[in-house]
Amino acid sequence: MEKEKAMELKQILKTRLNRPMRYYIDTCTRCGLCYDTCHAFQGIPKKEYSPVGRAEVVRKLYKKYTRPGGFIFPYGTDATKFSDTVMDQLYEAAWSCTGCRRCAVNCPFGIDTGQMMGVAKHLLIANGTAPEELVMLADAAVEKGKSIDQFKEGYRNVIRDLEKEVQRKLSLPASDGLIPMEKKDATILYVGLAGAHSIVNPAIIFNAAKENWTLSFFEAVNFGFFAGDPAKANFIAQRIIKEATALNVKEVVVVECGTAFRILRALMGKLPFKVTSIVELIHRYLKEGRIKLKEGAVSDAVTYHDPCQLGRNGGVYDEPREVIRKIVTDYREMSPTREQNWCCGGGGGLVALDNEEFRIKTGKPKKEQIVATGAKIVVTACENCVSQLKTIQSGYGLDVEVKYLTELVCENIIV
Amino acid sequence: MSDAIKPDVTMDLKGLACPMPVVKVSQQIKKMQIGQILAAETTDPGAHADFPAWAKSTGNEILSTDKKDTVTTFYIKKLK
Repeated sequence: MEKEKAMELKQILKTRLNRPMRYYIDTCTRCGLCYDTCHAFQGIPKKEYSPVGRAEVVRKLYKKYTRPGGFIFPYGTDATKFSDTVMDQLYEAAWSCTGCRRCAVNCPFGIDTGQMMGVAKHLLIANGTAPEELVMLADAAVEKGKSIDQFKEGYRNVIRDLEKEVQRKLSLPASDGLIPMEKKDATILYVGLAGAHSIVNPAIIFNAAKENWTLSFFEAVNFGFFAGDPAKANFIAQRIIKEATALNVKEVVVVECGTAFRILRALMGKLPFKVTSIVELIHRYLKEGRIKLKEGAVSDAVTYHDPCQLGRNGGVYDEPREVIRKIVTDYREMSPTREQNWCCGGGGGLVALDNEEFRIKTGKPKKEQIVATGAKIVVTACENCVSQLKTIQSGYGLDVEVKYLTELVCENIIV
Repeated sequence: MSDAIKPDVTMDLKGLACPMPVVKVSQQIKKMQIGQILAAETTDPGAHADFPAWAKSTGNEILSTDKKDTVTTFYIKKLK
């Protein structure tokens, strides 16, 4: 590694290792409790796939560059300097972690390895060795933000087709305006994803509730955040914030995407609008009597998978369960559940990488949880989780169907 | 226009979850020679903004799009 690159990385390391992170590094006693909390280690029991094993790579760099002992007597300590080998170790550490934060919840000191892996990802971006797929997706999202006016017409045209689907489902005489776009002063700006399911099902729910809403031109998912690039992550999130502000909406409702929800709700500071998950909104509509569901319509055993960014890191536990319990007669809770729920193994951008074999192995705790419930349907509320649960389902040959919560709701909505 | 285009590779991306359509296109285009054409069939409405943005950011060219019912085929020429 060239000296200039090492210097650049050293600066990023020192800037990013803020006080909480230095506390994490200094406090860890290597008790090893986190070994048992990490789905990756449960699937592949190697130290480098444990939270403490991942943090060790950052800790050794921290010792080298911020501790006098590590700088003056590096051979007397385990301090390491930046090198290609260390960067490879950082890659292995960062890209085997989904950022689920189950380790942080269980660590006696609350050490947040996910945050430390954010530092590792930033270093990999600066080194030019971050996953190409995620860098490419982040670049495309940034370009979309810069040139959105060029793409609006094509997007509008295809949304017209989706309006016809909504019209059919709701048995309405006309399709015009069922998916409004660029509607100034709408109450809600809904931010979906690329797939039709992420727009059609919420549109059915919004129309059934007679909501004053409008659809965003942007996708909710933030590939800059997944890649670990703070500048791109901020730009990508700001696209939505600027759109919502320009339209003067009161609330931004986020698609079933845990990371998108967490970023807008918790990581972007004070915003001039409320941020809500579509899951919370469905629950609110039910409470207010704005939508009605076929109660007890599903007799198959159903379980719910808490997306980590919606549940453990977002606090949305009760709303999806109450919606599901309205529709199903045989709801079965996974064990452990809620804040102790196992990550599916696909979060943090891992599902976009060419790593299916790894994800099947590290999805083992989730597979065992699903099997133990005996459920025939697994419902969840995150695009990444759905993809990964389908990978687990096919990888282990499970006899279960994986569904979005919005899908279950739309199959059982009374129109 | 698309009737005259003879793609070198055709990919079926219909029904893939986010973000796989763009990821698969990007992976495939890397394997191809400069000047070759990829036909990517997708049902994602978001692809109508995402594919052109991806092409612009990677320096490739979308020659044309062909929409039949819910399926759109993007004809992408590898330039880089």
